[in-house]
Amino acid sequence: MNPIIQVKNFTKRYGDFVAVNNISFDVEEGSVFAFLGPNGAGKSTTINTLCTIFEKTSGTLLIDGKDVSRQKSEVRSAIGVVFQDSTLDAKMTIEENLKMHCVFYNIPKKEVEERIGFVLKLVDLTDERKKMVSALSGGMKRRVEIARGLIHYPKVLFLDEPTTGLDPQTRAHIWEYIMRLQKERNITIFLTTHYMEEAEICNKIAIMDGGVIVAHDTPYALKKKYTKDKAYINTKNEEAFENLLAEYQLIYTKKNGYYKVEAEFLERLLEVLSIHKEHITNMEIKKGTFNDVFLEITGKKIREEG
Amino acid sequence: MNTVFALWKRGLKAFVRNKTGLIFSLIFPFFFVYVFGAIFKNDFIDNPIAYMLSGVIITTVFESALNLASSTVDDMVSGFMKEVLVSPAKRVYVALGQLLSAATVATLQGILILVIGSFIGIKFTKWSTPFFVLLSMIFIGIVFSGVGLFLATKVRNGQTFQIVKTAVTMPLTFLSGAYIPLSMLPNSLRFVAYLNPMTYATAFFRMIVLEKAHLSVPDLIKEGLVVEINGFAITPFMTFAVILIIGLVFLLLSTISFVNTDFSRMNRSATDANALWG
Repeated sequence: MNPIIQVKNFTKRYGDFVAVNNISFDVEEGSVFAFLGPNGAGKSTTINTLCTIFEKTSGTLLIDGKDVSRQKSEVRSAIGVVFQDSTLDAKMTIEENLKMHCVFYNIPKKEVEERIGFVLKLVDLTDERKKMVSALSGGMKRRVEIARGLIHYPKVLFLDEPTTGLDPQTRAHIWEYIMRLQKERNITIFLTTHYMEEAEICNKIAIMDGGVIVAHDTPYALKKKYTKDKAYINTKNEEAFENLLAEYQLIYTKKNGYYKVEAEFLERLLEVLSIHKEHITNMEIKKGTFNDVFLEITGKKIREEG
Repeated sequence: MNTVFALWKRGLKAFVRNKTGLIFSLIFPFFFVYVFGAIFKNDFIDNPIAYMLSGVIITTVFESALNLASSTVDDMVSGFMKEVLVSPAKRVYVALGQLLSAATVATLQGILILVIGSFIGIKFTKWSTPFFVLLSMIFIGIVFSGVGLFLATKVRNGQTFQIVKTAVTMPLTFLSGAYIPLSMLPNSLRFVAYLNPMTYATAFFRMIVLEKAHLSVPDLIKEGLVVEINGFAITPFMTFAVILIIGLVFLLLSTISFVNTDFSRMNRSATDANALWG
């Protein structure tokens, strides 16, 4: 696979403050790449530098082989950006916003009509074409922005928290569009999100904390590495159960009458359970979540950005 | 070039769609004509309504040009400028588009007042006058769009900007001779008026509207159509040159400043947007 985004030794300083400290990563063409991290981790700085808004302090950042600080115009033509806050012109209609975008990106006049039709169909807004942006709901605005970000057929689409503040149904729709895009047009998608279950759908994940990348892998590998499944057990015979756990060297904690056992050594746990089965009154196994991965790596809970 | 045209069209559309804004932009000038016309009834002016109207028209052009060009701040607050920023569109063209749309809308507003004014006191006797009036309005519109855009690029906070803008436009308007004849100002304020570019713009425009360009300088002084500083008269030609220089300087400054501004640093909040358009 061909890396469409290449970041090598990227550092960004604001005075004495180091926002991003010597990070390197690649994003493969046609993949969905998620960027996670607590507030102030350096995510936004990185994404803004890749989008040619901020200047780097040092390092090399390439998109489709073009340098983001030296070939700005080429890079800008190759990327689509959907910012966290709306950047639509509220006093104009959806169609006018899209047309304006076509002008900025030098889309040939004869193609404009066809492209607007295509992107609006993609986000199911064909009938809303003549509506004023100020009259749209938050979810619709986000869809218009995604449509707008695609109209110049970018190679990479940057989405900065595309689903923050949207209801679950709209979120699911937005994801549907993103996945459809990736499949149909082989667009690389680079996104940041606060929703862990969304990060899991992506091909690759990078977690940033304190200006460095602390983990970078597939969601499956990260989960395997950083989370443990847990068993919660209720028993009638607590003494016998505790003795068994000790005998099989299984670590446990007791809370509200439940035994919480790390299910890391599943075979040993199963043995304990089969010996003890007639006393068990209730049992539940919880899979490790991506939130656990995040907590394990950064030691912080993900917060909604204010 | 398409970028310039698209932004120009955007400004015009916003103007046409904002009906309430349009009506109020017409009510205020006539209110001023009525109030100040009544207060400063002047014996040595032939046609006080036309005298007053010409001042009001040019201040309207001035104020709208300044306001509209500086509404670029609103585009920063609303985020629209960010969209422009990540696009391959050349920033110079964006600046030009914003300038031209502001100047055009400002001129249109001036024309509207002029049309209504023609029913209550402005009369042209020469066929060439409307042409020169239009040219002067476009000229003044472009000059002060440059000033407005320059101010906009220097802004970091939308709310502060609203206050700064009022603090700049109010004295420039009231100390320009448009509403209050310069001869009626106390000495200290008159000195401020001499430093005000609007003073020259007003005198120049008024001379054209009242069709007095053919008069000799002493006659123009008598009618209050030429600025005189301690006996030294600024002739119409010098006036034109002064405005032209101010215009060129600010057009250049605003374009350079616009190309180099980091719009992403703009303070964004809902209240900012409201404060700007409220």
